[in-house]
Amino acid sequence: MTTRISRKQVSRRRALGVLGTGVAVATTFGSRPAFSADTSIDIVHLFSGADHPMELVIQAFNAKKTGVIAISRQEGTTYEAITPKAMAGIAAGRPPAIMTTGWKLASFAKHTLGAKDIRKIGTDGDALLGQYQDSAIKLVTIGDSVVGVPWAMSTPVLYVNMDLWRAAGLNPDDLPATVEDLYPKAAQLQQKTGKTSLVYEVNEWLPQAFIQNAGGDVLNAAGEPVMDSAEAVYGIEKFVEPNRAGFWKIASINEMLAAFQTGAVGVIASSSARASGIRAQSNFEIRVAKMPGLAGRARRMNSGGNFLAVLARAKDQQEAALEFLKFCATPEAMSLWLKTGYLNTTRHKLPIPAGQEPAYAQLADGLTAETIWPGPRGLEALKVHIDWISRIVNRSVTVGDGLKGSKEAVTKLIA
Amino acid sequence: MFALQGRYAAWLFIGPSLMAVVFFIYLPMVLNVGVSFFDWNLLRNDFTWRGPDNYTSTLLNIDFQSAAANTAIYLAVLVPAQIVFPLALAFLMLRVRSALVARLYRAAFFIPTIVSFSIAGVVWLWLFNPIVGLLNALGELAGVTPQRWLNDPSLSLWCVAAVAFWKGFGLNLLLYAAALVNIPRELIEAAELEGAGPWYRALHIELPLISPTLFFTAITTVLIVMDEIVGVVDVLTEGGPYNSSSNLVYFLYERAFRQFNFGEAAAVATLIMVIVALATWLQFRAFERYVHYQ
Repeated sequence: MTTRISRKQVSRRRALGVLGTGVAVATTFGSRPAFSADTSIDIVHLFSGADHPMELVIQAFNAKKTGVIAISRQEGTTYEAITPKAMAGIAAGRPPAIMTTGWKLASFAKHTLGAKDIRKIGTDGDALLGQYQDSAIKLVTIGDSVVGVPWAMSTPVLYVNMDLWRAAGLNPDDLPATVEDLYPKAAQLQQKTGKTSLVYEVNEWLPQAFIQNAGGDVLNAAGEPVMDSAEAVYGIEKFVEPNRAGFWKIASINEMLAAFQTGAVGVIASSSARASGIRAQSNFEIRVAKMPGLAGRARRMNSGGNFLAVLARAKDQQEAALEFLKFCATPEAMSLWLKTGYLNTTRHKLPIPAGQEPAYAQLADGLTAETIWPGPRGLEALKVHIDWISRIVNRSVTVGDGLKGSKEAVTKLIA
Repeated sequence: MFALQGRYAAWLFIGPSLMAVVFFIYLPMVLNVGVSFFDWNLLRNDFTWRGPDNYTSTLLNIDFQSAAANTAIYLAVLVPAQIVFPLALAFLMLRVRSALVARLYRAAFFIPTIVSFSIAGVVWLWLFNPIVGLLNALGELAGVTPQRWLNDPSLSLWCVAAVAFWKGFGLNLLLYAAALVNIPRELIEAAELEGAGPWYRALHIELPLISPTLFFTAITTVLIVMDEIVGVVDVLTEGGPYNSSSNLVYFLYERAFRQFNFGEAAAVATLIMVIVALATWLQFRAFERYVHYQ
């Protein structure tokens, strides 16, 4: 891979910082509970590959010999795939101790899966949560419960194929800050190179960024659907504009990634968490840029990712789970984890992985939560909303009618 | 030595199978019908009576209606295709003179059936890729406008149907080939001596003689198209864009295991059971009289 972004050396000051934070963490947590014999806990997740950072974190934890053995159980590649298996385990009285759970499932995790309030597991819960940024803790707070540890945070960013960008005669030092700046450049890239210039994800997450950056919301603070506001309509009109102009070719996320990695696409907008995977499979220069906002409107980008929910019911399993979570909060574990491309949710000052600076800058600007779909039919509401977004993108309805349709359908489901 | 005889012996032999069928098929079916009248929280074992509400809400659900319409299209297209095409191929394969070439054909046609769809799906996703896919590349060479394939609501269902056909026709081909090979040679030779040509023999001798196999495949193909297409839908489109390629069983899967609405999912399952039972009964009524058991 030839990338312009060279890997930065970790400075001595940074290394000392990490070491110092590690000592501080150890002091904060104090003594650990004694486990009479090795207690095994199942960690259910969706990350494939023996060398995936999730596996590295689990191996590093087990190497500490704390008396708790964490067993990695990758039971699917989506939250929707691993959740029913966890439910079956809970119903059978053998829940996994910990499960990676998408932000959007936070309400479901609390009300249906019975995720434990981290502060109520042992005495170290508060100290553990103190290791994370307040903004991240807010994302896992449902009502008065902290339903997990904010483990993985991502945000939408642009991935730019710099070879195509240059070939189109575009200035490599002038990556767009607004979509009004991006779209003419994307059109130029397509015209000059003959390649597909832009692909957006068609889901609920990226459109949420457009709605928010236009000044609207999907759900308001009271959890009511407001995705048909004038601002939201403007945001989604901006979202579909490149498709209407003929330089966004609609593809699924996997198709988009596959095409981008072969060098056939100029720019894609996707999760910052895909950075390591995208780079590993590409042989051209890739630059990550902040997701462009909308001209003249305040930026308000959203986040995504997952948290580690404790589903264990037995006290010893819960305490063992807390032991693992305490390790996850250390600089050592988080440094391993950040290799994924997810953003640092802790207070530790860790080196920013090379090339991820724009995503971190976006995080520093402040990120809102991914939409959490409330109520027992929240997941159905999520699907309905995605379907309406898809109808809009595919031109089967106008933006206004589509968002109105989404609001009506979602209202019925979460009322 | 104790000798097993009489009706007790019979019960002893069929007992294990009978118990398996009762406990793993009929009892879950009955329980499913029961669950369909409740709102069931699996984890709290919390049942709330809903009466027929799960059925009404399901029947009124626009996604269910579109899944039902898609299922009808899948059945209308795939059932005839998966019977007629393999049947024609089986006849042709019998006329291949070289045994080696015939075996090669048989293997080539049957391989898609045994290939795991999780592997084949990846290949198909590459073929259908709207930006770098082989199908569009070939199309462009022939001057055809590139298509969005799986992302196009008007094409996604046909893409799924094509892949399901590719995956499924080999099984019927094998069954037809086996049935045709087992037709007594003397019958064919007698017909030839009487001056019957290949078309006459195929229509009036061979087809009636393999009618039990044809009838069997007609029943099982309906079930396969209803059920096994779910794997294709899940890998290729997840029912999208906006349910344009979904079917009833995939709708059921989403209701149960993505939205965890087990009461409505049970209602959908009950409706599917009724539809399948009705379709099978109709097939027996319409076609069994044409089946010749030797």
